[in-house]
Amino acid sequence: MLARRVLQFLIVFASGLIFLMILKYSLTLSDYVIPSPLDIWHTGKDILTVYFFDTLNTLSVAIIGQIISVFLAFSVGIGARKSTFAGSFIKAAAYNIQAYPIVAVAPIIFILLGDGFITRLIIAAMICYFPLLLSIIGIMSEPVTDIEHFYNVTSRMRWQLEVKIRAFENMHKLITVISGSTTLAMAGTIVAEFIAADRGIGHSIRIALYQSDLSRILTALFLIGIFISVYQGMLEWAGERIGNRWHVSN
Amino acid sequence: MGRRENRKQVACFKLTGTGIKMTQYLKWLFFWGMVFATITVDIPLGNAQEDINYRLKWLFNTSVAGDLYALDMGYFKKEGLSVAVKAGSPERDAIRELELGQAQFGVASADQVILARSKGSPVIVIAQLFQKNPLQWIYRAEPGTLSNLSDLKGKTIGITYGGNDETIMRALLKKGGIPEKDVTLFSVRYDYTPFYRKRVDIWPVYINSQGIILNDKLTENGEKTGFFDPSSYGVRFVANSVVTSLKTLRERPAMVQSFIKALLEGWKESLAPENKQKTLSVLKKYDRDTPTDIREKQLAITRTLIIPEGDAHLGYIDREAWRQTEQIMLEQGLIPKPVSVTDILFQDGFGPTQKKQD
Repeated sequence: MLARRVLQFLIVFASGLIFLMILKYSLTLSDYVIPSPLDIWHTGKDILTVYFFDTLNTLSVAIIGQIISVFLAFSVGIGARKSTFAGSFIKAAAYNIQAYPIVAVAPIIFILLGDGFITRLIIAAMICYFPLLLSIIGIMSEPVTDIEHFYNVTSRMRWQLEVKIRAFENMHKLITVISGSTTLAMAGTIVAEFIAADRGIGHSIRIALYQSDLSRILTALFLIGIFISVYQGMLEWAGERIGNRWHVSN
Repeated sequence: MGRRENRKQVACFKLTGTGIKMTQYLKWLFFWGMVFATITVDIPLGNAQEDINYRLKWLFNTSVAGDLYALDMGYFKKEGLSVAVKAGSPERDAIRELELGQAQFGVASADQVILARSKGSPVIVIAQLFQKNPLQWIYRAEPGTLSNLSDLKGKTIGITYGGNDETIMRALLKKGGIPEKDVTLFSVRYDYTPFYRKRVDIWPVYINSQGIILNDKLTENGEKTGFFDPSSYGVRFVANSVVTSLKTLRERPAMVQSFIKALLEGWKESLAPENKQKTLSVLKKYDRDTPTDIREKQLAITRTLIIPEGDAHLGYIDREAWRQTEQIMLEQGLIPKPVSVTDILFQDGFGPTQKKQD
């Protein structure tokens, strides 16, 4: 699964590069607009180590942000799964906050909290949290009638049991949602670094952008893609194992 | 009957199957057609479009007063040109747009131009708008703060990593013989809180835009400010210039001549003291967010940065400053080898008084 994800990413990235090269050579564009393969290779070789650790730094913040988001989303999602006022209120609030562009909100966070680790974490969690919350509310508020009916008519239904049934029956969906939120957490961290932080791959991309250096940007994108693929692959693998174990124990 | 009906049904299925295949094929054709159309619309080739696009370096503000004045007062139209003046941003690179045919003229800083040329971009400078770089550092003017380069020692200095203020500051430190370990470099971003809170001693600003706003705020607070000007210490790093592609210059010299004539006329008139109110109203039209009193101060400073000293004309290309800019970039490893800077600069000059020593 892991190897397949990485391979898929490599195919997508290579296709993108080939498209750029077709564009470059068919329109006879200079290395300033689209760098040559040799230039990309040399730049990549020179900065690979630095960018590797930058991406690792970004990923570590993204993972923490994602864990926080998942916990928060589950807590709120479980609380809001009933069609009560609280549930619809949380949904409406999540939709509204999700609509705010983070670049507009980010400066307020920077003024309040500075531009360190916490700010990056909050922005990553913010970008990741709301879509996750809406998906989890959606999944957890959908009754599994066949099973729940039995417990309801025998008056043995408790909220813990209800959550368990719904989580178990929708395990595949939940794993997909959590795994998908990796990209959001990573994107959130990169946005935060791009706007304010002085470390991480987002910060490096910002510098490369100021220097009009597409080779560096492509190297950064390559590493981000590889890291996300590996992390997502690992999440899916872990999710599958948990699902199988749960299935066996039940 | 049964067999006949069956045959009919089979034929019908076959036809329907073909229909489905046909529809899928058409959908497929439509999808790729749309992809192709999007690409070709986004990347127009060569001079396919008749309108002239002029991509600025930054958003509409007082720094582009002359560009907007030329547009609004019809100087381009007078020359028979239909020009769209487009705001810039860090993500919009005029030189890239020139190569892609999305713009015919643009504004770029000297480091951008030199870097582009070192990577083979056929860009050429046709006028240097800023005779003096507006990039300076604001500081709180306490006794002995910054009277010479060695005063930078021990200071926390704001720089934009990757920006030309980083290059300029590194050139200043080298000139002053100050090792980087003797200063603290602070990564500058959009908000000025670290400077207001005195976490940073000197903060990079464009003296004709944020410089005025920061200065006013600190003055209101009873604090005295000063500006640290790199050119006072011999670092003359060229700022914004008007660029075009070599192809446009070779193939449409008359159009380039008309464009630059209209543009420089616009700049000249916009900076004339008697046209101050007209210029301010043009600016107000395009930049509604800046208060009028600030805009007025910005215009006064912009005038001193654009109008050359001595007998040089507006748009004069200061070749010596360009050579120095190239030298700084070489020393800092921003370009691998010299780019022969004189090849980037339009040799003939558009003004009547381009100095002979060039």
